[in-house]
Amino acid sequence: MAARRNRGGGKKKGKQNLKPVLIGASVIVLLALVLGSGVLKKGSAARGLEPTPNFRVAEYRQDGSRFASSGNVYVFDGRVENIETIGNARVVSISIPDNPDERLPLLVPGDAKLRVNLTRGDRFVFETTCRTGKTSDGQQVKGVLIVKNVETK
Amino acid sequence: MMKKEKTIMVMASLMSGVCLAQMPGGATNLPNGGGQVMPSSFDASGSAAKRPTEDPAHKGETPNPQLLGLEIPIMDPSTDTVKYNGGMFDVGNNAAVRARFEKYLEQVPDNTAESKRYRALMRDMLKQTQRAGRDKNYTVGSDVLVKVGKGLYQASEYPGDGNQSGALASAIVSALDVQRESLVRTRKNEKMEEEMDGLLKQANSWKNFNVSRKTALSIAASNPTVKGKGGGGKSIDNGGELNALKIARNIKLAAKHEATQAANLAANESAKLASKLNYQAMLMALLFSRRFDHVVIGARVYRHIFRDGDAKLNIDEKSTAYEAFTGGVGLPPTVNQMDSVASNMRRDVDQNMEAVCNMLARNKLGEATQHLIEAVAIGEYMQSVATFPTESRQRIAEFWNLRKRALTALNARDYGTVEQVAARMKELDVDFDDSLLLSYTTGKKRQSDLAIRNASKALRNGDEENFNKYITEAGIIWPRNPNLDKGAEMLAQIDAGDPVKEEFKRLYDGKEYRRIAREREHYKIVATDPDLAKKYEEVIALVMKMDGMLEQIKSVAQQDATLGPCMAYEKLVEWQKSDKNFANDADMTIALKDFESKAHDFVQALRDGEACEQRSEFGSALSCYYRAQCKYLQSTLARDGIKRVMDIIVKARYE
Repeated sequence: MAARRNRGGGKKKGKQNLKPVLIGASVIVLLALVLGSGVLKKGSAARGLEPTPNFRVAEYRQDGSRFASSGNVYVFDGRVENIETIGNARVVSISIPDNPDERLPLLVPGDAKLRVNLTRGDRFVFETTCRTGKTSDGQQVKGVLIVKNVETK
Repeated sequence: MMKKEKTIMVMASLMSGVCLAQMPGGATNLPNGGGQVMPSSFDASGSAAKRPTEDPAHKGETPNPQLLGLEIPIMDPSTDTVKYNGGMFDVGNNAAVRARFEKYLEQVPDNTAESKRYRALMRDMLKQTQRAGRDKNYTVGSDVLVKVGKGLYQASEYPGDGNQSGALASAIVSALDVQRESLVRTRKNEKMEEEMDGLLKQANSWKNFNVSRKTALSIAASNPTVKGKGGGGKSIDNGGELNALKIARNIKLAAKHEATQAANLAANESAKLASKLNYQAMLMALLFSRRFDHVVIGARVYRHIFRDGDAKLNIDEKSTAYEAFTGGVGLPPTVNQMDSVASNMRRDVDQNMEAVCNMLARNKLGEATQHLIEAVAIGEYMQSVATFPTESRQRIAEFWNLRKRALTALNARDYGTVEQVAARMKELDVDFDDSLLLSYTTGKKRQSDLAIRNASKALRNGDEENFNKYITEAGIIWPRNPNLDKGAEMLAQIDAGDPVKEEFKRLYDGKEYRRIAREREHYKIVATDPDLAKKYEEVIALVMKMDGMLEQIKSVAQQDATLGPCMAYEKLVEWQKSDKNFANDADMTIALKDFESKAHDFVQALRDGEACEQRSEFGSALSCYYRAQCKYLQSTLARDGIKRVMDIIVKARYE
């Protein structure tokens, strides 16, 4: 598996050096928001996330917790097959190319702030992290893919 | 068949003595458990023989008349039966006729050169006598009689003739001898008549002479001149005395002749009557022994032997034979009627044999057999019967033996064999009417089976007494009923009931329901115990229900090769979860394994999901259940797993 890793430290350093550029970009963004959010929806965002290559759902089915080590981030380009809402949270099952008869379950926590509205049957790019949690009675919940960000395709 | 012909046939059979020995035992009247009387015999076409005891209308019937202590058979022409010794016997199908018929079927056709010569002789004699009868100008005469006699003596040398020709020839010769003797006596009488005439004539002459002399003497006495002229009256008196003696002798001789004549006449009459009786008895014996050619020859030459024109048969008017010949018209029977009867029988036999050949050509074996029986019974010695081909005899013999076998099996109440035999007879003769046999056997088999069913019911209720009663009844009705073996097993089970009950309890406690169901007949005996009976019924009902469910699920699964096994697997898992009996059932488990292999991916996904759940790999578990759902969208197990895992995932807190 060759997951792409984004280093948090490098990002911060870049921001400090390019402050005037960012200010300019923010202005442009604000202008774009004024002109219409619909124009910005597609385009630059879809091109921001690249799907994790060679991800096999079958491997995830066998041992999901393996993917949770070191808080790895995985990006999937998939079609929403089902959405189940439980309380504020949602569980989205997606199908990804080259994985026939497989569904990848993704947890969208209730506090997740997504900029897109997930609809069944549409394709999105999901940025996820594989985590291990615990239930209130102390039971471990291993290898759950939690959606951090979603972009439209 | 005409009444007189049948009577003669039956009388001939009875005269043979076979009937007296076999007829009383010929019909059997076996109890059949159903209060009915089974037919003791049936003819070749399948109809049953009758017995007066079967018909209440015959009760109180007057017995047959007896002669010298022996019962006389009485024939009923309306039913073709003869009443004898309390039984009714089919004329064409009694023990004597059957025995003769079987002997006939085993004989080879009589086609030897000797027999041909014999038949040629008989034909020649028949032709000669027939010509004499038809041609008014042709008389049999002594020459023809001599020829017939010689022919008969020659024919008697043939072994098949049984010396009947010799007997007839002897009767003819004997009658002719008597005739000859009568002729001699008649001629003697004629001669004596002439002598008597001469004697009486002479005596009369002498008497006349004496009278004339007496007259002359009386005239002379009254006339002295005449008295002296003759020379003396003394000589005249002496001459008169001599004449008297001669006259007396002649009269005596004449009287003697007359007495002899009377004796001769009486002897002639007596001899003629005795001769006729002897000859007629011979013809009657030949008729009863069915030597019709001899009867015809003998009857035709009768009028040439006895030329007085009296052909009346001297039979006792009260006898059956007299009744048979008169035919109820009241006219006295004659020798010519014997000729007529014998000729008719010859014609009937030939017609019967012609019919037999035609029927055989059309495979109508049943009717052919019946006709052949009649033909053999009447005309066993006739050419058409004696030369009947071997192949045809064998075909009829096979059918006849089947008929006998059916009769034997029927009497033994072996209805299975009866049906087999009837089927074979039907194969040989498609027109054979087997309805009587089959309806009778079917009825009896059903009766027996019903009794066995009642016995089984009684056994289930623990009613041993009724069980014994019904099983015995079933055995009496149909001793070889194959279901009786089950009854015997049931009986054995009653005897060994307790061990079986213990075994049943052990199996029931061990939930080995399938084994109980498999050997349900073995464990049926436990029904004698009400508690065990309830358990037994529960087990049988459960197994039947499971079998029904399996059958149904298999049928549905076959409709879709992909989704069917998934559906069946899930249903079986569901059933096994809902009922422990289903989970313990071997057949259901086998079916489950079968569908498991057929829906491998689906089942594997479910199992992987469960395994992941066990390892707290809830993300993977959810993915597994989703995969199972992909394989079978309607899967309840997958849906439940998804819901269950999803709840856990959502409620968990993540670092």
